[in-house]
Amino acid sequence: MRKLAFAAALLLALQSSAAAKLRVVATVPELADITRRIGGDHVTVDGLAKGTEDIHQIVMKPSFVSKLNRADAIVLIGLSVEHAFLPGLLDVARNPAMRPDPDTLNCAGPGCIDCSAGIRVLNKPQSLSRAQGDLHAQGNPHYNIGPDSGPRIARNIEAGLARLDPAHAADYEKNLKTYLAELEPKLAEWRKWVAPLKGLKAVSYHNDMAYLGDFTGLEFIDTVELKPGIPPTPTHLASLVKRMKELKVAIIVREQQFDMKLPSWLADQTGAKVAVVATMANALPGTDTFVKFSEANLRSLLKAAGKEPQ
Amino acid sequence: MKIALLLTALLLSASAKAEDSEARIKSLEDRLNKLEGAPAKTSQSAFNPAMGATIDSAFSHTNGRSNFNFRAAEISIEAQIDPFLKGWIVLTGAQSGAEVEEAALQTTVLPYNLTVTGGRLFASFGRLAHFHDHELPVIDRPRSLDTFVDGETQADGVEVSYLFPTPFYLTVTGGVFNKLGGENARASNDAARSMDNFTYLARLAAYTDLGDDHSLELGLSEAWTPKRFVEDTSVAGTDFNLDGAPDTPNTSAGIQTRKNTWRSLAGVDFTYRWQPASGGLYKGLVWGTEVMQNNEMRFDPATNLPRDRVRAFAGFSYIQFKFGQRWRPGVMADLTEDLDSARTLTRTFTGFITYNVTEFQRLRLTFARATDNRPEGLGSSTVGLQWTGVIGHHVHGFRDR
Repeated sequence: MRKLAFAAALLLALQSSAAAKLRVVATVPELADITRRIGGDHVTVDGLAKGTEDIHQIVMKPSFVSKLNRADAIVLIGLSVEHAFLPGLLDVARNPAMRPDPDTLNCAGPGCIDCSAGIRVLNKPQSLSRAQGDLHAQGNPHYNIGPDSGPRIARNIEAGLARLDPAHAADYEKNLKTYLAELEPKLAEWRKWVAPLKGLKAVSYHNDMAYLGDFTGLEFIDTVELKPGIPPTPTHLASLVKRMKELKVAIIVREQQFDMKLPSWLADQTGAKVAVVATMANALPGTDTFVKFSEANLRSLLKAAGKEPQ
Repeated sequence: MKIALLLTALLLSASAKAEDSEARIKSLEDRLNKLEGAPAKTSQSAFNPAMGATIDSAFSHTNGRSNFNFRAAEISIEAQIDPFLKGWIVLTGAQSGAEVEEAALQTTVLPYNLTVTGGRLFASFGRLAHFHDHELPVIDRPRSLDTFVDGETQADGVEVSYLFPTPFYLTVTGGVFNKLGGENARASNDAARSMDNFTYLARLAAYTDLGDDHSLELGLSEAWTPKRFVEDTSVAGTDFNLDGAPDTPNTSAGIQTRKNTWRSLAGVDFTYRWQPASGGLYKGLVWGTEVMQNNEMRFDPATNLPRDRVRAFAGFSYIQFKFGQRWRPGVMADLTEDLDSARTLTRTFTGFITYNVTEFQRLRLTFARATDNRPEGLGSSTVGLQWTGVIGHHVHGFRDR
């Protein structure tokens, strides 16, 4: 009887400990990774995307609805990059802390931790028309692929967690400092690595390399896609080959989720080398953290350029 | 002397640079203050709703006769109304005229995982039954849905749904409506009625992931109308008002007669999806199956007395593949018994292929062969080509995924 009472008390204690933790859902694996690092023992983190998908076509699984319904916070990239799944899921998740924002297609409410706050957004469109493809109205949202976005993302997550759980704000701040102390030397090291890439010309499959280009100095001159989200036409490919030859494009970035066929064909036509790049952590083997994902992308670009990390 | 002049020049230059920097900082600060002080939106239309439109047209060729068919121009308007409520309106213009297809209010912050939706809405019966026509995987609504539900599940009334706070997805929905089915002519939306003339809906929906790439959804639906009227043109009798009170007697056979009965429409829907996380841009599969049973009491034309129930079954099953970024071929089989004479069965087999030019433009080609088991039944073969485009606001909805 005494043993039973002890077991029940233990179970209750464990439950209350679990209940005390902030339940966080992150839309993509790299945000889940950074949230775990900042949140430490005070949070439980669930991810939605696996990492291997195209972020524009992540499937709305009803199991995601259950996760969001019970979450205290959602950590998102924002800038409407999660438009394919997040507004639809938030609409039915019945969580008053996080509602879909019809204006921005992001998240509105106290539970939303939007990591794009303070990001210097690139490629803001001058005008909006579907004739320009599947544009993101707020600008290029793929800043998570830029290694130097890491500190800003981490700071936003720390600010969000501290706002929602002020009792542990000091711990979140301490964890942030620890994380940045690891990340910032890495960034300095990576900047040295990518020095040989500066000025080299490249094309990517989708228009998602702006921030990686900004960090590496690679000049992305065009995309395999005709327009954002619009698969290429034969005319576009013919003109792209001509342009790549004229501009001596050295690297073709094939984002992991796209088929290899077209980048390989382009490489055959132009002599450029293909670099396989992940658009989310976990897209490639052994890249389950923001640091590993960023590093793998840089190594892939360097390899395609025939360089070694220095 | 030269050194003094050089130093003076350097100092003046530094001072000018400092002044220049200060002026630039001041200018930036002014601009920042203006931005921070500005409202998020300044336009008079800042609170206007998000709008989108869908244009759906088709060409069809059936048994040697062809037609260009303007299927619909559908305008959707959606916005949050206040902190507690959102609303949407779907206006449809088609060859048959214009109508308000949906005009619904929905709570957004009710406690206990509850959501209340009211107005004119697509009731939660089955799965494809509450899809708009242009969102279906085929051009023409499956005959089983058209016969048993009467078009989309459009219904005037109120629906309450509850999401169970479980780690797996489970919802239960209850509703009360004037009637179910946008083209259901057996009941009217205009007349007042007693409580047993309403249609009561219940639905249970569950979902489970089968690993990362596979999933299964199961739904059970029941639409129960305790008392409704059947039009009988074969016998003399008395007409009834919609509230059940006797109306004008009619004494000649062939004149419409209404009789009280009840109706139960039950459905089971099952959806299997293969949506690989890796390579999912180029491959995938959806297999959807729905089976319905319509159960009603009918009246014997000879005796004018209630006779046995008429049970009729109908259903469809389809598989849609994803080949590459743009191609979606598939097949559908539909079996539909006649609601009044369950021994009459219509079989429809449809092959379809969809080409998504972009996310906002779609072409679809279908071939459908329909036959029934009546001795005089001739059957029909239809070739259809559909062209659909979406303008403006476009949100991926969870319910119509």
